[in-house]
Amino acid sequence: MSAVLAIALKDLRQRLRDRSVLVIGFIAPVAVAALISVAFGSAGSFHADVAVVDLDGGPVASGFTTFVKGPDLASLLTVKPVTSEADARAKVAKGDLGAAFVIPRGFSEAVTAGQSRPITVLASVDSSIAEQVARSLAESFTAQIEAVQLSVQSAVRAGAPPSSAGNLAAEASAARLPEQTVTRPAGTRALTGTSYYAPAMGIFFMLFAIGFGARGYFLERTGGTLERLAAAPIGPGTILAGKSLATFVYGVANLGTVAVVTSLVFDAHWGPPLVVLALIMALSLTMVGLTALVITVARTERQADGFASLLTFGLVLLGGNFVFIGSAPPLLRTLALLTPNGWALRAFTDLAGGAAWTAALVPLAAILAFALATGAVAYSLRGRVAAP
Amino acid sequence: MTTPPALALATAELKRVTRDRTFLFFLVVLPVLVILLVGLTNPSSTSIRIAVVPGQPSPLATQLVHDVEASPALTTQRYATRAQGVDALRRGEVEAVVVVPATLDADLRSGATIRIPVLVTGAVQSSQAAVTAVSSIVARHGATVEAARFATAHSSRSLDQNLATTRSLQRETHVVPVRTEVVNRKSNVLPLGYNYSAPTMLVLFVFINALAGGAAMIQTRRYGIFARALAAPIRPRDIVLGETLCYLTLALGQALLIVLVGAVLFGVSWGNPLAAAVLIGLWALVGTGAGMVSGTLFRTPEQATAIGPAVGIAFGMLGGCMWPLEIVPRSVSLAGHATPHAWAVDAWVTLLSRGGGLADIAGYLTILAGYAVALFAFASFRLRRSLVTP
Repeated sequence: MSAVLAIALKDLRQRLRDRSVLVIGFIAPVAVAALISVAFGSAGSFHADVAVVDLDGGPVASGFTTFVKGPDLASLLTVKPVTSEADARAKVAKGDLGAAFVIPRGFSEAVTAGQSRPITVLASVDSSIAEQVARSLAESFTAQIEAVQLSVQSAVRAGAPPSSAGNLAAEASAARLPEQTVTRPAGTRALTGTSYYAPAMGIFFMLFAIGFGARGYFLERTGGTLERLAAAPIGPGTILAGKSLATFVYGVANLGTVAVVTSLVFDAHWGPPLVVLALIMALSLTMVGLTALVITVARTERQADGFASLLTFGLVLLGGNFVFIGSAPPLLRTLALLTPNGWALRAFTDLAGGAAWTAALVPLAAILAFALATGAVAYSLRGRVAAP
Repeated sequence: MTTPPALALATAELKRVTRDRTFLFFLVVLPVLVILLVGLTNPSSTSIRIAVVPGQPSPLATQLVHDVEASPALTTQRYATRAQGVDALRRGEVEAVVVVPATLDADLRSGATIRIPVLVTGAVQSSQAAVTAVSSIVARHGATVEAARFATAHSSRSLDQNLATTRSLQRETHVVPVRTEVVNRKSNVLPLGYNYSAPTMLVLFVFINALAGGAAMIQTRRYGIFARALAAPIRPRDIVLGETLCYLTLALGQALLIVLVGAVLFGVSWGNPLAAAVLIGLWALVGTGAGMVSGTLFRTPEQATAIGPAVGIAFGMLGGCMWPLEIVPRSVSLAGHATPHAWAVDAWVTLLSRGGGLADIAGYLTILAGYAVALFAFASFRLRRSLVTP
């Protein structure tokens, strides 16, 4: 046991003395998380400045202005004054306004007479969300008018005498729309950029340790230390256990530090500490398996470096560490679950989103399965490892 | 005729580094994969993503679900249960979950008024845009139901017959139309999808790879190649020039590859060819300069390969390669312009979104040229000093 510890401690000491390991493992992920928290820290919810150009001046048009200025929409819109339609156009084009509504001349009169004049939403090529929101609001408003006009027209089509249209319209105006949306909290917490990218970048940079570990093995082989270890009265299993322990501890320390620092300094939500620790330990075990796999497959230090890079980047690209996997197409989201880091991110995302700790159980099992599978493959290929 | 020493050195170095398959992976395969991935996750439409839990397959509920799915403002995905919809919301896959009540059909037919829950995350305001879009669809659906109920009360026809009539009336006449007019044509941000990912990843990867090239330079120095070259009748200037040529060729080659792959595989349009060529050329120079600085600043190749890409990624984030600087606070955007990346991305925006030409990006090009000159001056000063240091 003491031999295992001695080998592990030696490996860890050696690794921590390497400044590039410190940069990749600790400084880079924290710096990236810091950048993301600065970039998105104050990016709140959608809000747009809009204007209403009332060319009509009638009661329906002023009803629309009141609707848009209503307290329900205050968090979504701010209605800014404009002097004319041309002024509104210029401000939309310049980006000062997200969108503008133009109520045409004769709008109120046309609506009252059961006819139609279009409301125009002015938008910029760069404000597509504002355009859609403005359009939706205008359609919500006109739906009530539409209900009255459709009611009269449908009743007449269904056999009501056309001469009664006036009375029908008066009656229909009294009715309210039978369907409304009601906004309810889903019990989830908003997933911030920092809460997603802190684990994503932490895992990304942690996976570089596969390269460090594998390269270290080949360097020791060329340096002759492995030969000398083999001469000592310890079995190859002890050497392997010592090196695996070092990789495991490094992984836990690495991602653990990133978790603690980003939680404390940048307010990243990782989840309940014990569950997070379990996930980090499972990931570190996977890393041990992957490192062993690279050592068994590679023949030289350069090959080890190459395989490790391929593996690291293949995993992070597929697993969603590089891009926000939530906005990826469903197929990519499914493919992400072919990787241990994809499962880890799923767990961290769910925990950050306010899910119960049990949400991490399936990902945890999946990550452990990867650890087991990679370890088993490496073990079955142990004969390939070139003797020192 | 003999080859000039700088050219011979450049060719030799080029041969050596391109034999490294890992280097080629980072040079060729990785950028293409990342362009594909970022392009896929930045879909070319900016519609709002909504989850729909359809409830019972009754006619009115089915019609409502259809209306929600047909809206151009929304990208929808169906989930069988509310819990699955909430999972998608928690993971940021959707911005709101529309739960169609199981009793919708029966309630509406019985003349009742119903409320359709739209589940949102945390603070309600964060999903206002999504809620607004759904509300307008629900309102228009409600308008047809209300009209059909009204017609049924005033005629002998059934509710279903009248519903069919109101739906067709709504389609035919669109009683109070809302139309959209886009007032400008020139955009201030890069288009989405591959048109965003290809130019920004060109900026990102040419720089990162050039920085990683610094490691190869350190390796060359450690092999003693410089020291041996200096023993030959070769001036230090030629060595500096040779190194520059080698890494400039690599940077240009990588940029060209990204342009070709972008155009052929992903249908990216690269704008005015002359302006794009000058921009790429200058960017390759900036990258090469940065790579030379990295090659002279770090002592071991490991340091250069570890720190270089991390710096490259950080600069890319600050400079608008990972997300448009329009969406970050103004102070962050200003700070981002300390990196050359931000100016290069600005130049691409002018070329690709505003249809600009060489004259329109002249200002950006001048700034990039300034970066290149400064980096090269620093690197050659350091390189001449470090040439003979093993």
